[in-house]
Amino acid sequence: MKAEPEDGNLVALTLRGNPEAFATLVERYDRAVYHLAYRTLHDVEEARDATQEAFFKAFRSLRTFKPGSKFSTWIFAIAYHACCDRLNRRKRYASEELPERADPAPGPEQQAIALDQAARLRAAIDALPEKYRTVITLFHLQGKQYDEIANVLGLPMGTVKTHLFRAKEQLRRLLGEMEVTES
Amino acid sequence: MNMDDNALDQALFALPLEEPPAGLRASILLATAYRPSPAFSFLELALLGALGAVGIWLFVLLALGGGTLFFHTLQTIGAFASRALSSPATLAWLAAGGATALWLSLFTGSQPLVVAPHRSGRRASR
Repeated sequence: MKAEPEDGNLVALTLRGNPEAFATLVERYDRAVYHLAYRTLHDVEEARDATQEAFFKAFRSLRTFKPGSKFSTWIFAIAYHACCDRLNRRKRYASEELPERADPAPGPEQQAIALDQAARLRAAIDALPEKYRTVITLFHLQGKQYDEIANVLGLPMGTVKTHLFRAKEQLRRLLGEMEVTES
Repeated sequence: MNMDDNALDQALFALPLEEPPAGLRASILLATAYRPSPAFSFLELALLGALGAVGIWLFVLLALGGGTLFFHTLQTIGAFASRALSSPATLAWLAAGGATALWLSLFTGSQPLVVAPHRSGRRASR
């Protein structure tokens, strides 16, 4: 079985002019980057644009990628910044203060109707405040690598752990509420 | 659903990723790795633009002055250029400018993009 090339090698190959190598990186991460963008922005079109922007910026600044660091963390950080720019733009153009969520969604009562566990979990994540939602999304994408999550968000690791703890607490509470409503 | 921490982690890790819109990957690749190279480079475009401008200028001069004004202008430019280029001070300045441009071009091959921690991200954490 042929071993998959590592991300660092693919970056090096891209810098040497091999477009296939960057295509492999895009194949590997486009779904995860889109997931992060969609969970942050809650808008298909904006998430699509932010994903494209992230890969475009990454491609242009591939020389600044530090060998030895994780490509996933790097591309997630670029995507997260692209999303933050969009959220800031939204806030600037909004006539009134935005709620914690980017788009108002139905409450847990309505969401609980006929949802399976994955959909229920997704709805609960959507109901979290933005900062917790992003941490939970990155936890989902990066696993328990708190330092990588901290790098993406530009936050101290302690803050990430606190956010994650509170996010999970709120998730459990929301899931409990949904179950009560359903039964 | 009374989930303990492990069960919640497992449920989170098992959550399927969002399905990206159709054509997203293709549009990313077309904007990056497989971006078609432009028909003309920047220098070629600049040269074509300059040639076009000179052509229009010649046409206007010929149309307005019947050629006399055109030749007069050429003579004036030629006299000015030969006067300027015969001056050692001008030549020295031109050489200095050329050398500086060449030196600067060695450092501006790529424009790195620095990804700095986002301020709004910090603010959101408070």
